[in-house]
Amino acid sequence: MPLLQTQGLTKRFGRVAALGGVDLKVEPGEVVGLLGDNGAGKSTLIKILAGVHRPTTGTMSWEGSPISLASPAEAIRLGISVVYQDLAVVNSMTIYRNLFLGREDAVSRRIGPLQMLDVGKARAESRRLLAELGVHVKSIDVPVGSLSGGERQSIAIARAIHFESKLLIMDEPTSALSVKESAKVLGYIEAARRKGVAVIVITHNISSIYPIVDRVIVLALGRTIAHASRRDGSTFPSATDLADLIVGVRTSPGVTESSVNTTGGGGDICNP
Amino acid sequence: MRAPDLASSQSSPSAEDGGTISSGDVTSSGAAGGPASERIGALASLLSWQSLGAAVSALLAFVIFVIVAPHFLSLGAWASILLLSAELGVVAVGVTLLMITGEYDLSIGSVAALAALVLAVLSAKGVSVVLALIIVLVMGIAIGLINGVFVTFAKAPSLIVTLGGMFFWQSVVLASTEGYSKPLHGYGLVGTLFASTWHEFSVSILWWLAVVVIFGFVLRRTRLGNHIFATGGDAGAARNLGVHTRRVKIAMFVLTAVLASLMGLMEVGRYSSANPTIGQNMELTAIAAVVIGGTQLSGGSGSIVGATFGVLTLGMIQVGLQLAAVPPYFFEGIVGLILLAAVLINLYTGKLTMRARS
Repeated sequence: MPLLQTQGLTKRFGRVAALGGVDLKVEPGEVVGLLGDNGAGKSTLIKILAGVHRPTTGTMSWEGSPISLASPAEAIRLGISVVYQDLAVVNSMTIYRNLFLGREDAVSRRIGPLQMLDVGKARAESRRLLAELGVHVKSIDVPVGSLSGGERQSIAIARAIHFESKLLIMDEPTSALSVKESAKVLGYIEAARRKGVAVIVITHNISSIYPIVDRVIVLALGRTIAHASRRDGSTFPSATDLADLIVGVRTSPGVTESSVNTTGGGGDICNP
Repeated sequence: MRAPDLASSQSSPSAEDGGTISSGDVTSSGAAGGPASERIGALASLLSWQSLGAAVSALLAFVIFVIVAPHFLSLGAWASILLLSAELGVVAVGVTLLMITGEYDLSIGSVAALAALVLAVLSAKGVSVVLALIIVLVMGIAIGLINGVFVTFAKAPSLIVTLGGMFFWQSVVLASTEGYSKPLHGYGLVGTLFASTWHEFSVSILWWLAVVVIFGFVLRRTRLGNHIFATGGDAGAARNLGVHTRRVKIAMFVLTAVLASLMGLMEVGRYSSANPTIGQNMELTAIAAVVIGGTQLSGGSGSIVGATFGVLTLGMIQVGLQLAAVPPYFFEGIVGLILLAAVLINLYTGKLTMRARS
């Protein structure tokens, strides 16, 4: 049973159709590359999956049952955590304070009106989680701002693992990073997968994540134009094919599975 | 996936306000131990010692006045220093927390004067003292709410909102007293609670201590404290992680206004009358003490212990100058100089953090 499945998701903002029919499937514990050029509808799609926007039409199901995400809190409760590009950590705060930010109840107990932090536990947990991901920091008491870009991403991943998220959505996690740092982030994502967390990586640069994806979904002009999985036995497109699809050099994907769907409603304004 | 055993040996409770880094925390890794990461480690320990600058300035003031000011070590001198520090220190706690969330309150002094005035008016009308105190408390909460709602929902800069509040409440006080003091009728409880003395030492010192300890704890050891740091550090990221940044800011505006009212009660208790000049310049002096205490003007980082040292520094200077027979006009000049030095130090440590981010 897929962890998450959407069918014919559309989203209109007034007269603008941001999404014109998105079909997407995520199996438990797999890494999915959600690809598309700027303006393909990636951000709108993430916001729908994060509970920020509601789709205009279309259905979503989570572990087999239909859902409608009314708020980000509801998405979090289901086990969906989203790491936005620049808004995932508070740089001035220490690693352990960041890790449990907004989820302090996991490391605190109630005393009267106050939720008292068990700092010892928070620090120990942080140290253990980072070690599991293979992140080596000198001290978990340094401000996150003093870490490298890749290490900062690891904080968000560690958070998702600790809170047993089932789905982690990462928005362009490697776009601002050096090659070496990107490689580190891929390592962290693989570690999350080993922990059973499914990860959707949103990017317009397929080559950065190609080695680790189990499934790719290509969006263009608000629609799913290609959908392929390494696990279902069919031929998996090469990174070059995917790059061509993303930029629109190639419009008919010759190598994708049958679930390609271009019959979603609306979205005509998006068409060139 | 919880509760690792290996933790128990390493998780020594850290005195975070002074020096978080203990050598046992270092997770060693062969590769990452280069000079750069060492520098970051040293930097971090420097930053968590942000209150050190204020402690040094307090120590410096102490040493200088012991030398130049006769009787500086007398009990009487310290009763005065601690009294002044208590009144400033109580509001400085609110100012610190508010500044960490990235906001300011310039209406503190006027609100203190208003609280004192309202209490005096209620005493003249024969309202019971307990009810009068409750009314003053509710008024403080209401003013804080108004400030907070203007800033968070109307998105008006707090500097302007509370500047407006400062003028408005000051005008209310002056208009209703025409500049004269209003005596307190009865209300012995107010004197007992906020201004009684023991061997010259005022009970307000205990209030100050209590406020410092409680909110120092809240800031460093509770979820609310975590949210205060996050709100000022990066409101966008904090919101994404489920922090109600507006609620946090409003709560801090309320706290600051309530502490300003408490300061007004201390003064009205001390003089048994509400003087319209209560709290004059208090808002700026408190900001000075907080900045001397190492709190960043841009929000996101700061320390109540630091602010407390900043307050003590100013208290010692004020009393020390008197004892050294220096005209009081020099007080503000000296505060100004210390403030400039402090702000340069704060900026420098802030820049070091930025640099460490690459």
